[in-house]
Amino acid sequence: MDARIPKRELLLVGFGALFLIVIFPALNAADLVSNFTLNVWGKYLCYAILAISVDMLWGYTGLLSLGQALFFSLGGYMMGMYLMRMIGSLGQHKKAIPDFLVFLGWEQLPSFWVPFSSFVFAACMVVAIPALLATVFGYLAFRSRIKGVYFSILTQALTYGAALMFFRNDMLLGGNNGFTDFKFMLGADLRSGATQRALYIATAVVLLIVYLLCRWLTRTKFGLIQRAVRDSETRVLFSGYSAANYKLFVFVLCAVLAGIAGALYVPQVGIINPAEMQTDKSLEIIVWVAVGGRGTLLGPIVGAVVINALKSWATRAYPDLWLILLGGLFILVVLFMPKGIVGLPAQLRGIFAKRKSAEAEPETPEKVTVKP
Amino acid sequence: MLYRILVCIAFLLCPGVWAETPREIIAKASVLDDSEKQAKLVHLLADSGGEDVEKLLTLWKEGGIFLLDGPKETKIAVTLGADKDSEEKQAVFRFDTGAAVMDEAGKPLRALASDLNTAETDSLLRTAMKSVMDLAQLAAPDVKQRLRSVETLGMEQNPERLPVLLQRQQKETNSRVKRALREAIALTELKNEDHAKQIAACRELGAIGSIPSQDLLNQIAKEGTPDVQAAASAALKEIAAHVRTVDTVGTLFRGISAGSILLVVAIGLAITFGLMGVINMAHGEMIAIGAYTTYVVQCVFGPGLEVSPFGFHINLPGMNATGWHYDCYFVFAIPLSFLTAALAGLALERGIIRFLYSRPLESLLATWGVSLVLQQVFRLTFGANNVQVAAPSWLAGNWTVNDILFPWNRVFVVVFAIGIVIGVNLLLKKTPLGLLIRAVMQNRNMAACMGVRTERVNMLTFALGSGLAGLAGAFISQIGNVGPGLGQLYIVDSFMTVVVGGVGNLFGTVFSSLGIGMVDQGLQQILGNPVLGKILVLAGIILFLQWRPAGIFVSKSRSLES
Amino acid sequence: MKFLNSLTLAISAGVALTSTITPASAQDTVKVGVLHSLSGTMAISETSLRDVLQFTFDEINAKGGVMGKKIEPVIVDGASNWPLFAEKAKQLLEQDKVAVTFGCWTSVSRKSVLPVFEKNNGLLFYPVQYEGEEESQNVFYTAEAVNQQATPAVDYLLAQGKKKFYLLGSDYVYPQTTNLVLLEYLLSKGVPIENIGGGFKKDESGKIISAGKYTPFGHTDYQQIIAEIKQFAAGGKACVVSTLNGDTNVPFFKEYAAAGLTAESCPVVSFSISEDEFRALPAKQLVGQLGCWTYFQSIKSPANKKFIADWDAWLKKTTLDGVKKEGRVTCSPMALSYDGVYLWKAAVEKAKSFDVDKVREALKGGISFAGPGGTVKSQKNMHMTKNVFIGETKADGQFKILKTFEGVYGEPWLKGTFKPKTASK
Repeated sequence: MDARIPKRELLLVGFGALFLIVIFPALNAADLVSNFTLNVWGKYLCYAILAISVDMLWGYTGLLSLGQALFFSLGGYMMGMYLMRMIGSLGQHKKAIPDFLVFLGWEQLPSFWVPFSSFVFAACMVVAIPALLATVFGYLAFRSRIKGVYFSILTQALTYGAALMFFRNDMLLGGNNGFTDFKFMLGADLRSGATQRALYIATAVVLLIVYLLCRWLTRTKFGLIQRAVRDSETRVLFSGYSAANYKLFVFVLCAVLAGIAGALYVPQVGIINPAEMQTDKSLEIIVWVAVGGRGTLLGPIVGAVVINALKSWATRAYPDLWLILLGGLFILVVLFMPKGIVGLPAQLRGIFAKRKSAEAEPETPEKVTVKP
Repeated sequence: MLYRILVCIAFLLCPGVWAETPREIIAKASVLDDSEKQAKLVHLLADSGGEDVEKLLTLWKEGGIFLLDGPKETKIAVTLGADKDSEEKQAVFRFDTGAAVMDEAGKPLRALASDLNTAETDSLLRTAMKSVMDLAQLAAPDVKQRLRSVETLGMEQNPERLPVLLQRQQKETNSRVKRALREAIALTELKNEDHAKQIAACRELGAIGSIPSQDLLNQIAKEGTPDVQAAASAALKEIAAHVRTVDTVGTLFRGISAGSILLVVAIGLAITFGLMGVINMAHGEMIAIGAYTTYVVQCVFGPGLEVSPFGFHINLPGMNATGWHYDCYFVFAIPLSFLTAALAGLALERGIIRFLYSRPLESLLATWGVSLVLQQVFRLTFGANNVQVAAPSWLAGNWTVNDILFPWNRVFVVVFAIGIVIGVNLLLKKTPLGLLIRAVMQNRNMAACMGVRTERVNMLTFALGSGLAGLAGAFISQIGNVGPGLGQLYIVDSFMTVVVGGVGNLFGTVFSSLGIGMVDQGLQQILGNPVLGKILVLAGIILFLQWRPAGIFVSKSRSLES
Repeated sequence: MKFLNSLTLAISAGVALTSTITPASAQDTVKVGVLHSLSGTMAISETSLRDVLQFTFDEINAKGGVMGKKIEPVIVDGASNWPLFAEKAKQLLEQDKVAVTFGCWTSVSRKSVLPVFEKNNGLLFYPVQYEGEEESQNVFYTAEAVNQQATPAVDYLLAQGKKKFYLLGSDYVYPQTTNLVLLEYLLSKGVPIENIGGGFKKDESGKIISAGKYTPFGHTDYQQIIAEIKQFAAGGKACVVSTLNGDTNVPFFKEYAAAGLTAESCPVVSFSISEDEFRALPAKQLVGQLGCWTYFQSIKSPANKKFIADWDAWLKKTTLDGVKKEGRVTCSPMALSYDGVYLWKAAVEKAKSFDVDKVREALKGGISFAGPGGTVKSQKNMHMTKNVFIGETKADGQFKILKTFEGVYGEPWLKGTFKPKTASK
């Protein structure tokens, strides 16, 4: 495996980063791109980070987790708690505690809410809470060698249970309504264009860092073992590696990445509630990755952006047909484009080459899961 | 209405009797505007025997009596004949005499039910109706009616009713009615001025374990004289013990019924996922297909159905069956829902899944896409709203033993679940097809080598699993929603059940569904909170799988990685 | 170059897609936003509102529009996804620059778009019963406040001699708040606390912070709760006050009927079942259950008859995508949406401007409109005075009106306003 980054990719990433981090916001500052468009792109880039985390698990390690939406929401909730505290007494009730607590008859802030007045604490929690949950769950799951479909279903159960829990008003986390009506972040007015632009830039920078980090990680020996686990876990075990520890590390890392994405997402869209952690959201992320191209790092970014742009457009142009479009696209991708958009040129070239040569070479498809 | 109504009196009812017949009284009452006056007239029915008062009142209550404009601002109460002609019109009969109503041309009048004004009832009037019916029913031959009548009379605590109740007690033979009579008499006696009688009544209520009397006893336990208070408290304790038994046994049954539903929805998955290893996320939609089929069959037996999916207009004519014939719809719906879902499953297998047998995770993704598409197709075909599926009358109601409730639809689901398990098991173990299915599922390549047409077996197995999901849909329609999102409600639960039971083992699914159902209902009962119980069950499942990663029953395999 | 190609392609496609703005329309139209879920779980209820809004716009346009301008609706789909609601609201206000928006159903969708409307100084007409405790200058609440639905219904039940009240709802803010208000209200009417069923939750100091039994959305198993209600109602004179959300009513009522409970023995008054939801329920078994709204289809006024006739006629000839034409009914949120459009029209005409501030002032000044449910009048607190009706269900899925409370003032701030009376015997 070559550890150097090929020139072509370097160029592409450099150009993309330049465009997303510098040019796009500059255009916005110059009023050539509307605040709305920038804001929507901020959301897409958060999704892109989330999609990378799913791809690291699924595309590289073979763990199809249906719980990434949960970690994403947890990160979002932690940031949301800070933002709720920052509303101060500007809520509907003009009280010092969040509105929904006033609804529920609370007069004082519940104790676990208190430290969230500090941004630093909230930022630590954005990382710590998803990491903690992922460690506990991952340890239990990988120790008893739960894998494949079982792992998917178990993470689905975890997410489902957590969503049920967050929907309850007794959790004191806003119940079904969640958190909304944010006003300030680090003293800046969240509703101003400049703050939103800063948040957008932060998101784009984080995306770049996450990309480079994962890029580096997958090129190390660690990345090799990661893929070996995906292709044949038993052989990895026989070679003397502790597959469980590797898997646990990736799982926790991806949970943290999802949490960070969530924390960036919440101040930009202005709401977080348990609907974000329902299982179909997790499946939707997987669609992005599959459509973009799994097992690559650009694929998830492309997938997240394309599908969500499509969604923004289709829910307006063809609201009735949106789900059919999404579902149909998914079926097509799984059946005919196993490598997604990113792999499409190669696939087309392959078909083309196959036609050209009279005697078709037998194709050896990449092994994804082991046949029973 | 512009018809000039001519009425021909064909025959006389009850010749020689001066008092008005119930029909005449009701006809008179139904045309009035003032519900208090109506109620007064209805109370008169208590004393008049003759025709079945209850039947007539029920007809009124359920909107079977209509009002026609008669001559000179008057109104005439009429009913409609059973037969409908090609224009959906029905013959019109006078309610008081039963004579046919003529139009101005002298022909029998026919009218559309929807064009007529219904004689309406409100709660004041219905309360009056109920009390009349209760008294009338005290001597009714049907046990259930007698029982209800006794219960209501008891709650009235009206000393005037005591003689009637005591009189009935002498004649009564049915043990449940006897118990109800004891309760009713004791309840009435609670109001007695005589302390000794009150205390005796308390004891009686305690001994019966009378749940309805709790509020009254509580009141007495606070306000009565000391000895009465003590008796009331003692009775309350006894009743509380009885309530505990009722709750425990009730919860046990509810657990079994909840488990049966899980079993019914999961058994199809136990085949497609457990045996074939296909993760069918569209399983929920297969259930929904079954439920919608039931709806369509119901509509065909009823008024027909018009749908216009994607601009195509489909009009299914209805048979307008009523009564017993209409209730039969469910008997037809069961096999049809199996067939439709099986066909849909067949199409799904041929179109998509057969390409993905070696890639189970991808079958998960593709079928999720199918599930999204199907949901939207339901929405575009039948509308975003839930559709109405009414239980046939033979599934309505319940069987109550000693205050423990067994609703018929639940009992039916339990019986049905047992039937399905036996049927599927017989199919797999005793038929040639079952043998092939097991062979292919155990080792596809080996079976192919032995000359089994594995493609066909795959196809049939998947169709079977989907068909079973369709059956589940038919039953779900009796207890819950039928709407585009129906499948989503059950998909997580079904997967959990199969995984906990152990993949590839039908009996594992039986055990796990019953276990999950019981634990869920038990926790609900203990915690008094429907959500916490469910969350704990999910957490429990996750921990259980740590202990037994392959479920309750492990299917043994020598394969290294599977 | 394959990566570069596909990425630039994707990005340019994305930019093109999201920034597509409908070309500037002709001078004689005014853009009006419609923000409802046309897909996802809430589509069940919200699609009807999209339809009735389109019907109202067509009706107004046929008569010359608003101040000579034709209404040009911009219909967007919130897809039952709350962040998407906020995004769509931004789109309507910042890109399409709509003069007014009609939309939202759930509390959470309203909460989600509220900051967007406040930031851009937009105007939202909100048509569905809600929990109150809110009074934004950028929302006009045509919706029923708690005192226009829950408390009149309880008044009616008390007058019918009901002594025991079982509170049941879906676990979200509307039922929670409504039930807390009802608890205070019942106590203030002298109902002893042990006669209020469903359970209570108290904080450390013993103060009640939640009253009643709550089930999540999409709950399917009501066996246990029905068993509890059956015991609660065994002593008679009991009723159930239900704030269950649309979907869950079906399993609830099916279980209720199977347990042998009836409207005579223990009526259920539901605040979330209108004629529209009733279509999915087994109506015959539910004769006599109560509903409380500010409009029923069965109102026998000329205005309502005309409304229904026009609506039916519109349904027959409309070519709008996805409109279901069979078996349609009208219901309170629909009538309130209709009232809302006309109130806005009247306010615009009074202010002689589409400017939000001026329209708001006009609305606050009190504008009346004779709608299908009777005359409604806008109030200073951005709510609406309207008639409240108690109805009971009939076998044909309609409501029979039992009692009318005329001209009830919409009051969003109710909590803590009822003082408990010492329990009477």
